[in-house]
Formats: sequence, structure tokens, C-alpha cells
Amino acid sequence: MPAAAETYSLGAPVEIGKIEQELKKLWQEGEGAITRASLMNLAAYSEQPGSLNDNTQLMAKITEDHACRAIVIEADCPSEENRVDAWISAHCHVSHTGNKQVCSEQISFLLKGGCTTQLPSIILSNLDSDLPFYLWWQGELHDPMDAQLWEWVDRFIYDSHDWKNFPAQMALVETAQREAKQRLVLCDLNWTRLDNLRFALAQFFDHPASHHRLAKVSKVQIDFAPAFRSTSLLFVGWLAAQLDWKIDAVKSSRELRFTETAGQHIDVELREHDGQPVHGVTLTSGDVEFGVTYANCGDLLEVSRVQTGEKRIPQLLPAGNNDPVDLISEELIRGGPHHVYLNALNCVRDLL
Amino acid sequence: MNRSAEQQQLNPLREGLSTRAVPQPCSIVIFGATGDLTHRKLIPALYNLAADGELPPAVAIIGFARRPKSDDDFRKEMEEAVRKFSRQAVRDEIWKTFSQSLFYHQSEFGDEAGYKSLAERLEKTDTERGTRGNRLFYFAAGPDQFETILKNLKTAGLNRAKEGSWARVIIEKPFGTDLASARELNRIVNDAFEESQTFRIDHFLGKETAQNILVLRFANAIFEPLWNTRYIDHLEITAAETLGVEARAGYYETAGALRDMVQNHLIQLLCLVAMEPPTDLRADSIRDEKVKVVRSLRRIVGSEVAKSVVRAQYAEGAIGGQPVPGYRQEKGVDPKSMTETYVALRINIDNWRWADVPVYMRVGKRLPKSATEISVHFKKAPAVLFNKETVKIDQNVLVIRIQPDEGISLRMLAKIPGTSLRIEPVKMDFHYGTSFGKASPEAYERLLLDAMSGDATLFARRDEVEEAWTFIDPIEEAWHTKNDAPELYFYPAGSWGPEAADDLLARDGHAWRRL
Repeated sequence: MPAAAETYSLGAPVEIGKIEQELKKLWQEGEGAITRASLMNLAAYSEQPGSLNDNTQLMAKITEDHACRAIVIEADCPSEENRVDAWISAHCHVSHTGNKQVCSEQISFLLKGGCTTQLPSIILSNLDSDLPFYLWWQGELHDPMDAQLWEWVDRFIYDSHDWKNFPAQMALVETAQREAKQRLVLCDLNWTRLDNLRFALAQFFDHPASHHRLAKVSKVQIDFAPAFRSTSLLFVGWLAAQLDWKIDAVKSSRELRFTETAGQHIDVELREHDGQPVHGVTLTSGDVEFGVTYANCGDLLEVSRVQTGEKRIPQLLPAGNNDPVDLISEELIRGGPHHVYLNALNCVRDLL
Repeated sequence: MNRSAEQQQLNPLREGLSTRAVPQPCSIVIFGATGDLTHRKLIPALYNLAADGELPPAVAIIGFARRPKSDDDFRKEMEEAVRKFSRQAVRDEIWKTFSQSLFYHQSEFGDEAGYKSLAERLEKTDTERGTRGNRLFYFAAGPDQFETILKNLKTAGLNRAKEGSWARVIIEKPFGTDLASARELNRIVNDAFEESQTFRIDHFLGKETAQNILVLRFANAIFEPLWNTRYIDHLEITAAETLGVEARAGYYETAGALRDMVQNHLIQLLCLVAMEPPTDLRADSIRDEKVKVVRSLRRIVGSEVAKSVVRAQYAEGAIGGQPVPGYRQEKGVDPKSMTETYVALRINIDNWRWADVPVYMRVGKRLPKSATEISVHFKKAPAVLFNKETVKIDQNVLVIRIQPDEGISLRMLAKIPGTSLRIEPVKMDFHYGTSFGKASPEAYERLLLDAMSGDATLFARRDEVEEAWTFIDPIEEAWHTKNDAPELYFYPAGSWGPEAADDLLARDGHAWRRL
């Protein structure tokens, strides 16, 4: 029976061949007014020991806002054993209208040995039909990847922040993209982390009177936390791609120089210190400074435009959170490809 | 393309962001700032926009009303209102910043000096807060004040914006009480503001499901080929509410259900369901198609009114087990009132697509439950093979639920599992609340943002309003003739209306959908 209160348990163990039957039973035995809902298949794959429980907790939270069939997989690749264990469970939440329980089902797998060979068959035989398939890959990717799997994936979610060797990992992702016969959208959570910052900076330039400021940017300062250099570089890549800047010189690990189409130089300073992944951006254009920085409360951004002689009126905007549930949720409400991401990436690929 | 999208194209940093472009900085002046609408809807909507980061960085909201009050008093009052009525919980940090953009301007609506000082204040605000001379005037005052406010705005020169800036006006319904008064109101409005500066708000159009009607029709290939007289048997539109007249007796006594709901909300919904595909998504392209529907509505005149329209008033009854008084016993209502609280209509749309497809509309107060929906009843499959037994029921019905529990459902017939052949209707259901976790913004949030961005798609245009009155006026006329006026029926509060409304459909072999 679907649990009314969230328990975060893996649920009932099931035989691999009987998963669909057992799921059917799960819903038939449910008591009270519940609705099974599913908008997508969301599979989370990890090789981290203990990830099955961690991801179950994450799925419990994600399904509050995104009804889906959750498929959680923990792989113990080096294991000499070759077996698969499976469980089924449900995540039930009172709907936003408050009058019914909306439930998502979860199928959990523990793979031992032969991960890459087992993965496609495990996933493909347990997808809810006719719904998009989002694959959330946690950690590093392996070579070779299975081409059969990529043909089914609609959105491939990863966090490039976790990668030790960006070029090698990105090459694997791009191979997967080429192998997919349908459109495979790449969703980098390291890019999603920048959504609110990008929005906060972009809104300064919505007014036509401020467009000319973009052509006069001379200096950019970015403050980032240790281990989030790649995130800050993606932000620089975004500015460069959108404003048509070309990299001119890498003066040091913290100083870059770009040139815009008219030949003006833009100096970019990357400053590392404790705080949010990217906790502040200042863009100087002529005598105006556009600033975005985290407010003290931590989940709001304070934005301000300062010009000589003008009163500074700070505004607060949502900052989002840097936790996986928020990042995934942000990604799941999107549609369409991330070509802006790919353009940004290409601008700073050699620096990552 | 709407202005917001145009703006986005010019700002390269906007590309790929899932949020819409922030409107230009502006001052919003609310006339009737101490009223119910401001407290319940407008300020909470503006707060929610601020909390979602959708308000422009430089914005000033100036409440204009008669009662003496300081900026701080106004802010305190609004804080209470937002804490009570906001869609999302109030965050102190956001409120603190947002409240600094709230100001109060005390003046009588008829006091010319009050507008002069308002103009000075707006100038000062432009300098101090960077609102760049853009002004949005929101008329949340009673319609009897519109003319005075408009004339004074014009005298103070506030109806015209400086070059590179804009001035816009948002008008709340009622847009007149008949065609003559609507034309007069439009003349007065257009005397001060051009039509392109005028935004007539109909909050039904700001609802997510209303906006989804066009997506459902024109983004899905399966519906449009069936969306015509060949496959559709009839349409029903219902707007039911459990509430009575509440504190609106003064207004309602002069309006009634036909003017209050049908002339605007229900006709607007009908337009979205019945319109032809627009050539593009520009505001005027959509409104051009909508107005053609209103023009095509067959006028119901003279003796036809009694045959095609049923009016009724709620009598004493019970809602949810609680006894409630009849309309004539309500506070502020004439004990002999002839005002209708319920109306049902049988409408024809005289165009190629909808010829011979009746549209049944009903709207009422004190009905058993609150629900607004549109149902599209498809023609029956031939009564051979499986349908000999099921010929009496509507086989396929597509229901678009506007409120509450927004969503879409499709009814179809299915075989009951078993060895015998038994067929029953089943329902495929889509609920916004279940499928999309994110709560929909309130209609006023969307509409305020659109007005700030200059996007008039979801606002009624002058010709739409006037055409709607040409449809409504003959019905009102027939009701108010001294001789042979169609009967006013009574229905117990808590029932689904008078029997005469059921007969209206029964004559065509139809029945109201059970809600």
C-alpha cells in the first residue's frame, strides 16, 4: 500500500521479472483517495555505496513537485558477484490543492558486477511507456557507454562540477549525443547552478536604454567558492558567447582577457573565497557598475546598478539553492535544448 | 510577437532563460487604493511578482485614495493584506525591500490639485527611483469615478508620456451597463488614452487554463480537425458559485448575472473555444479572431428571449447543509427585486465552423458547488454495433476545467471487463495540480505583468466589449419591457437552478453536464 507519510524506505523487494505486476498490486491495495501520477521517467544512476538510500530521499522530495516514475540505481561495478536486487515503493504527497494524495512510484535496483552491460536492459524494461526519459548520471562516466541506452534518453542530466577530467568526460557525453538517434538534450547541473545569477544579471539589460552598456563592458569580477572554479568559468563562457567576446589572453589562473568585436578589451578577474558556488558578479560598463551578490540570508540575491550621482536601490531576487533537489527541479521544469550552455561551454572549453 | 519577446531578442543575455523579460521600470498608480481589490488582489499580486523576481528593478507603487494616510500607514495596511491574501508566504527580507516601493497619495478623485501634485510626485519618483517616466494607472475605484479620474489625469498631462516612455491605463469591469454606456465609457477613456494604451482587464483570461485553451486547440493536431459542426454536437459553459451576493448587493442589484458574468467572462471563454486560428500570436491577431466570434453570435431578440434564455433568482435554501437566505432577503437587496442571480442561454454561432452547434451557457450564484468549466460534447458514433445501448449518453466529452482543480478530461466509452459485452463511459483526466508541481500564478499577477510589458493579448479590446453588449442588450431589453416580459424563475439555494433551464436543453435532446 502506498505510504501516506514519507518513510524513505526502499519498499518491498520484488523479483526482477515481476516488477510491473507488483506495481499494479501496490496501487490496487492502496487505501483512501490517491492518484498515481507520472509525467516522466526519471532514472538516477550512481556508483557511490549507499546512494540507493540517499537517492530515495532525494526522489521523495523531487516527486513533491514532479510526478514521475523514479528509477534509482546503485551500481557496485567491481563486485565479482553478478546479480540484481530490486524493490518497489511509492512517494505520496498531498497535492497543492490539498484535497488528494498524489503518488509517484519508485523502482530501486542494486546492481552487482557487469554494470554497463546490465544497465540498458534494466532501464529499458522498466520505463513507463510513452513518457520522456530523463537520465541523471551522478559522478564520472565510463567508457564505453551503451549506444542502445542513449537512443532512449531525452534529457541527460549530469554535474560537470563532479568531474576530475572535464575534457575526457565531455568527450564521452558528446559521443553519447552523437550516438543518440533522436535529440538528446544535455543538462549540466553546474550550468543550472547559474540560472538565477544569469537571470539577475540579464534583467539589467531588458530596457532598450541599457543595451548599449553591454558593448562597453570593460571589467568583470566573479567571486567563487573553492572547488567551483568550473562554475565560474561557465559564467564567463556565457558572457563571452552571448556578447561575442573572444579569448585574448590567460594572464594567470585568476586573470583572463577577452576582446569584443570592436576591439575593446574586457578583463575578467576570478576571485576564490568561501561562500556560495558563485557568490558575486560585478560587471563594469563605463561609469556604471552592475552588481549581483548573495544577500546575507543565503537564498536571495541582492542586485544593484550603481552610477555616479544616482541613488543605489538594491532589489532582492530569488537565488535558488545549491542542493540537488532544487537543481534537478529547476532542470525538470524546463523544456527545449540548452544551446546557450553549449555555446558558453565552447567559449571556455580549453580552460575547464 | 509581444513586446516582452521583442525585448528579449534585443537583450542577448536573455537567450535561453526560462523566465520572461522583466518589464521596463515604471510607476504604478492605483486609484482606489484603500478598496477591497487593492487589498485582496493587486498588492498581493505585485508582492508575488517581486518575490519571484519578475518586477522591474525600479518600480514605485502609488496608492491614490481619499482617506488621509501616510506612506507608513499604507505600507502597514498593505503588509497585513499581503500576509492574509498572498499566494506565497511573506518573507520579511523581500517585504522590507518591496514595501519601500509603496507610497500613498491622498486626494479626492475630483480634486484637480491632487493630480497636479501626483504629477510632481511621479516626476520626483522618476529621478529618485529610476522609473523613467513610465506610468501605469490602475482604476480599482468604482466605475462612477472613471470619468472624473480620466479627465483629471488628462488635465494634469498624465495621459501622455514623454518620448521614449509610456503611459497605460488598466480598467476593471464593468465596461458599461449596456452598449450606449460602454460606448460612452470607451469615448471617455479614448479621449484621454489611445486604444493601444488601454487595458480592459478580465481576470478569467489571466487564468492558466483559459490561456491553455489555445494551446490545447492549436498545439495538438488531434483536436482541431474535429473542432467543428461535423463532429461537435454542442458546447456547454458553466460558471457556478456557492456564494451569494455577499457585500455586493448595491452593484449586483443594478447588474445581475447576465451583465456581471455573461457579457464579459463567459463570452470571452466562448471566444477562445470558438475562434479561428489566428495568423500569429500578436495581441491584435488573437483579438481580431475573438471579435469575429462575438459578431457571429445570433442575436436573441423579442419573443426569442423567452425561448432561449432563462433567468432566475435564488430563494431560501441550504449550501453544504447550512441554511442560507434567499436573494430578496439579503442585506441591501430590494425585497421585490427582479434581478437575476442565475441565467441560462442557448446560443447559436452563425459561422461556417459552428453552424447548427448550440452553445449552452449557465451562470449562477448559490449553486451546489463552485466550478467553472467548458465542455465540448462530440457527436455520437452511429448507433450500430456497440452503440445501440449507449445511444442516450454523451459518448465523448472533452472538459476544460477553468476553476477550481484546473485541468482537462476526456470521456470515452470502454468495455467493462468480463465475458459479456457491457460498455461504460470512462474518463482520462489531466490535473494541473497533479502534473505540474509548480503553483500557477494568480490571474492578476500575469495580467499586471502583461500590462507593464505592453502585451494586450489577455485584455479585452474596445470592439470586443461593444460587440458583446450588442448581444446582451436585446435580452436585457426584453426582460425590462412592461408587457410580456419573460418570467423570472426561482430556485432554492443549493440546487442547480430552475427546471426551465433543464427544459432549455431537453428541448434539443440534451442535458446539463453533471458537475
